[in-house]
Amino acid sequence: MNPEEAHVASECLAIQEALSEHRGEVARLNAAEREHVESCPGCSEVAAAEMALGLIFREAVAPADSSVVDGVMTALRPVRIRRRVVAFVPVAASMVIAVVGALLVGGVPGSGVLSLFPTWSTQGWSALLGGVSDVYGASSSGVAAAAAAMNPAFLAVAGVIGLVGLAAVVGTARRWRKISPWRKSD
Amino acid sequence: MPVTGRNEPLSDEKLVELALDGDEDAYGTLVRRYQRRLTAFLGQLVGDIELARELSQEAFIRAWSALERFNPRYRFSTWLFRIAHNLGIDQLRRRRLQTVSLYRTDADGGEVEVVVTALDKDPLGHLENRALAEELHQIIDDLRPEYRELILLRHFGGLSYQEIAEFKDMPLGTVKNKLFRAHSVLRKALADFL
Repeated sequence: MNPEEAHVASECLAIQEALSEHRGEVARLNAAEREHVESCPGCSEVAAAEMALGLIFREAVAPADSSVVDGVMTALRPVRIRRRVVAFVPVAASMVIAVVGALLVGGVPGSGVLSLFPTWSTQGWSALLGGVSDVYGASSSGVAAAAAAMNPAFLAVAGVIGLVGLAAVVGTARRWRKISPWRKSD
Repeated sequence: MPVTGRNEPLSDEKLVELALDGDEDAYGTLVRRYQRRLTAFLGQLVGDIELARELSQEAFIRAWSALERFNPRYRFSTWLFRIAHNLGIDQLRRRRLQTVSLYRTDADGGEVEVVVTALDKDPLGHLENRALAEELHQIIDDLRPEYRELILLRHFGGLSYQEIAEFKDMPLGTVKNKLFRAHSVLRKALADFL
């Protein structure tokens, strides 16, 4: 094969690949390629055959089946309820973490802390409750009250746990809201 | 069907976003958009249109269940077809364990499994031209596996070359080349019908 023949062959190959991709639709080729197809018997033949092949496959795809769509739509509801329940687990877990953190900040030192509540934590806990409408005031007075009664390192750890829990509640609740909307009629 | 302000159908990405916000109608649009092609693809994969309907239903339900894990960097179509493909392959493996296979001898003297399909389960059973349906069935069965899968994805699944490249994790050029070769085989084999 001389260089000119090789060039033609490679041009034919590229055009026939494109015809194959476009199901023989010559109109989807560029102007130079269309011109080539018109003057090249081999490429014209491929274009016609590809178009016929495309039609055969179009017919070979069975018509739409509405029973599949109905079946899927009916099955979505229980799946959504299950997803909602499963998705709530991290929200609940982070709520527990936040509550534990808040209890600790409320002034519960050492081990057996919860059993000592509210005896040891009245001061801090009531400061937190009283300051619900004023987060800054509640935090500062709660921390100040708790700091008077416990080790500062313990207080810091408790504060971190509480904040992590709150952040987790916000994060997971946002995600949960997104995947388990209530606005539907259920 | 949810549409944009200019009455254009919403993109898959937008419909997925709406579905993630709990809009079941948006997901219904996706189901209607892909049901026909997904069932046709699975029908050819498992050789049984009834089973293909069940599997496509299952694929849509699984996709819905896992929608929040869908990575929007990829196309919904390729993700859905991957779920369906895995279901189909699992089904074939299970069926292979449960059934006794029949074999015929091919042109090279090798053994080829014969798939016996009842007409009502034939994925090409709706074609009026039975000769064409049988020929097409045989030719697709005889294709090399790497060509066969690409032909199923392209012509029954209706995926674009780009989507196939993504599905197969294959360069686009390779997909084009392989499909061109597969088409050459099909053009020769179906010459009487073209």
